[in-house]
Amino acid sequence: MRLHGIAFRLASLTLVGATLILTAILGYNYTVSRSMIVSLAEERGTLLADYTAENISGVFNAIQKVMNTISFSLEDAGLTTKQVNDLGWMVLNDNPEIFGSAIAFEPYAFQSDSKYYAPYHYRSNNDILFERLGGKDYQYFYMDWYQLPRELERSVWTEPYYDKVGDSELMTTYAVPFYRMRDGHKVLKGVVTADISLSWVQKLIAGLSDRESGYVFMLSRYGTFIAHPDANLVMNETIFTRAEKLKHPQLREVGRRMVAGESDVVELKDMPVIGDSFLYFSPLLDQQWSIGVVFPKKEIMADVSRLNREVATLGILGFVVLVLLITCLASRITRPLRKLTVSAHDMASGNLEAELPVTTSKDEVGELTSAFQTMQDSIKNYITNLTETTAAKERIESELRIAHDIQMSILPKLFPAFPERKEFDIYASIEPAKEVGGDLYDFFFVDETHFCFLVGDVSGKGVPAAFFMAVTKTLLKVVAERTLDPGEVLIRVNNDLAEDNDACMFVTLFLAVMEISTGKVRYASAGHNPPLLMTKRKGVEWIPPLNELVAGVMEDTHYTTKSMTLSPGDTLFIYTDGVTEAMDSTQELYSEERLEDVMNQCQGKSAEQIIRTIDGALKDFTGGAEQSDDITMLAMQYLGTNSES
Amino acid sequence: MCSLLLLLMICFFVSPAAAAEGKTVRLALQWYPQTQFAGYYMAKKKGFYAANGLNVEILHGDADSNSLDRVISGEAEFGTAFLSTAMQRWSQGAPLVNIAQIVQRSALMLVVRKASGIKTINDLDGARIGTWGDTFQLQPEALFLREKLHVTFVRQSPSFELFMRGGLDATLAMWYNEYHRLIAYGLNPDEMTTFFFSDLNLNQPEDGIYCLDSTLKNAPESAAALVKASVQGWEYAFAHPDETVDSILDIMKKQKVQANRAQQTWMLARMRDIILVGKQSRLTPVLNPVDFDSTQRELLRSGVITTDIPYNDFYKELLR
Amino acid sequence: MDIICDKRESGTLLQVSGRLDALSAATFEKDFLQVMEGGETKVVVDLADLKYISSAGLRSILASAKKARKAGCTMHFCGLKGMVQEVFQVSGLGTMFTVSATVEEAFGA
Repeated sequence: MRLHGIAFRLASLTLVGATLILTAILGYNYTVSRSMIVSLAEERGTLLADYTAENISGVFNAIQKVMNTISFSLEDAGLTTKQVNDLGWMVLNDNPEIFGSAIAFEPYAFQSDSKYYAPYHYRSNNDILFERLGGKDYQYFYMDWYQLPRELERSVWTEPYYDKVGDSELMTTYAVPFYRMRDGHKVLKGVVTADISLSWVQKLIAGLSDRESGYVFMLSRYGTFIAHPDANLVMNETIFTRAEKLKHPQLREVGRRMVAGESDVVELKDMPVIGDSFLYFSPLLDQQWSIGVVFPKKEIMADVSRLNREVATLGILGFVVLVLLITCLASRITRPLRKLTVSAHDMASGNLEAELPVTTSKDEVGELTSAFQTMQDSIKNYITNLTETTAAKERIESELRIAHDIQMSILPKLFPAFPERKEFDIYASIEPAKEVGGDLYDFFFVDETHFCFLVGDVSGKGVPAAFFMAVTKTLLKVVAERTLDPGEVLIRVNNDLAEDNDACMFVTLFLAVMEISTGKVRYASAGHNPPLLMTKRKGVEWIPPLNELVAGVMEDTHYTTKSMTLSPGDTLFIYTDGVTEAMDSTQELYSEERLEDVMNQCQGKSAEQIIRTIDGALKDFTGGAEQSDDITMLAMQYLGTNSES
Repeated sequence: MCSLLLLLMICFFVSPAAAAEGKTVRLALQWYPQTQFAGYYMAKKKGFYAANGLNVEILHGDADSNSLDRVISGEAEFGTAFLSTAMQRWSQGAPLVNIAQIVQRSALMLVVRKASGIKTINDLDGARIGTWGDTFQLQPEALFLREKLHVTFVRQSPSFELFMRGGLDATLAMWYNEYHRLIAYGLNPDEMTTFFFSDLNLNQPEDGIYCLDSTLKNAPESAAALVKASVQGWEYAFAHPDETVDSILDIMKKQKVQANRAQQTWMLARMRDIILVGKQSRLTPVLNPVDFDSTQRELLRSGVITTDIPYNDFYKELLR
Repeated sequence: MDIICDKRESGTLLQVSGRLDALSAATFEKDFLQVMEGGETKVVVDLADLKYISSAGLRSILASAKKARKAGCTMHFCGLKGMVQEVFQVSGLGTMFTVSATVEEAFGA
């Protein structure tokens, strides 16, 4: 794909857009899924903590009920030794979850001769055994299970402890004080207990820990670990010593809230092994114990990460598919364009037959192609026309060139024209403009002593002007040979030209007839610009214009014949307005003034030298600017009959 | 019931490596293994006893045995005991001598909850005060006698549950042990008000090493070696607290005594505070005659002893 | 060349400015013819702003004048000056037409 091609730009723009959208979706997804998963985990943890707490409480509550009932029974003053013992046995027999039960009496309260009286039933190998507790070595009055309910006057759950008999199971004791009435007062008689193994609680919690990605632990009312995956902590550490060891003040604060019976979710920073974690805790209210559920944050976040990885993978897959689709689509759209470009290049380099791609589609590319087709056809037609026109024009031009050549050939070109005549020197030049123009000059002997010379300028240019010029020249020659009066010549020529001249072509003419022997010149002008006369005596001067109408416009126009006499060395300079109206590149006219100035420098020069000087000055002025009109000049220098005089 | 089961535990702790060398003597301690006795355990473990030509068997104590009884009965050659306990026995005729006074400052304290409103000692009038055995009752009795306050002592189990559950107004506690247990139960130090007996003009030096007069006469070099090595052990323990706590925790675990690092670390640090008093950096195991006299005075006043005990008869300085 | 055509009560004023040469001659003829065909009997051509006139320009004026004469319309000129006036003079055209100094004069005539 080209780097600046439409396909590339379309694809990159779309893909950049798609990437942005994808990133935004991923970001949003991460945020939302994170909070969703965190709140789900929170819910799960809270549920688990609550559920476990309720589960354990259920069992404990059942035992509490049993033991409360038993304590009521013991308030009967008339109980015999056997009845008390049976009661203890019955407690164990009816309640498999109770490991042992003591019915301990205050000093001398059951038997007046016995300080200690505490029958104790306990399980051993599926049997219920019996022994009596108490003695100097076992002063149960100072044991928590006895002292606490006694001093606090309510039933208590003791801190868990290890039963050193048998498998050293973790136990707790529920102890209920019982009273008898004496003299209307409640007097403590003793305490009845139920020892309960906590193994099942530990197993239950261990089971939960196995199932969950985090773990579950249980604290006693003083924060002692009753159950924890790390067996070393159980009964050795409280959550507070743990916090002290880990230098984790937050853990201590949370521990205090847990043992205070609160339930909440907190984020714990930097826990050992698992790092940042969420802790959900829920109390066992009667025991003031607490269940804690710990989820490592990174595991919860792992779900979020996995979800996001999956979304990202899907996104990238979709992205790749999108890339392929866009590339395919873009190249399908641009293929005809590219073909069209190739064809257009081909056409631009001149091959009008270049084949345009065939499109059947009605889209923009299709329209563009058919527009190109139209353009190609138009150009072809145009070129064909142009070729034909050019051919025709060339033909005409070549014909015009020939006409021009013919036109020029009818003007006398051979100089010196009359080398045998020493009386005068005549020189003429015509510089035709690009187009065929209508300037003319001529000179000829009318008879032995009279020499006629003339300059004319036909209005307009082109073939009509050329024809008109040819006609004028021919007419002039014919007429001038019959009469010596220039005015008469012009009258006749005018009449001939004006006849049926609907186009109103006209010609300006200056015609002079010189008597060679005397230098006397008779002349007439039909609207021609005034010639210059250079004499030794007076220098350069304009021949005053007669202001008579140009020839060919109106029949019966009268032209006056004037006369003057040239002295030897005088020069008559006749020209067409191509000289004075020659323009330089700023379209400034050469003007009569400049012509006069140059003419002034021409004293003593021959006719040819004069014309070449003026021509040079003119060329210097125009500086090569295109010539718009014929430039015609004629110089007649009278030398006299005797060249010596 | 737990205490009943603890009774069944065996008390011997013997290092097999050292057994073969030197003279075998037995040292009876007041209580279960813990960093309260770190110096002795470390002296044995690091071979300081062996290096001094002794093979020491350490007999740890429990709730129902008394280290001095074991010395008197010949069950052990040496024993550690509180000064007041030893003086009481001496006055009762037991031929004991103090051969080293290790703990110079009393760690005994009274702890009340700030919430109870008790701010001074005088606020304790009529209070129920938790205690755990007669040994620790001498100083409080002297205190309340001196201050003319009436209080009720309530013996409680070592779990301190009665205090924790609000069954007591105050409790006695050892700074290095029970006080920390209260912290370990979740009580914050700023929730408790403490009164140290050592601050109440009732300082009574605590752990010292005792033997029978005859034992000292028969083998003074063994006694001197024991003291010297024990001092070395203590100094090693203070210089290497982490290793010491590790060692003691190992021993406790083997004895199935509830143990945790925080508690033992705390205890070792507090032992250092009460052994290396003042600006001492070396342990000088000398019984301060001033402390001895004031202890004797209080004991006489409370009737624990009835006759004067001459300092020089009671204390034999071995290291000099 | 620009021609501004101003139809007045007494005739039409054509103000010719710029250059009247071979290129623009046809335009002048055409514009003039248009005025003529509207049945105008008097046309005043103001050449005050004409800078240059060539022989082809003259021819177009002559041709227009011829047509005007046939149609019975009179053609007046005014504002001649400089080169244009010179050309009019030299070519003898000044003698053929009524030439006034100003537009007002031409319409007054």
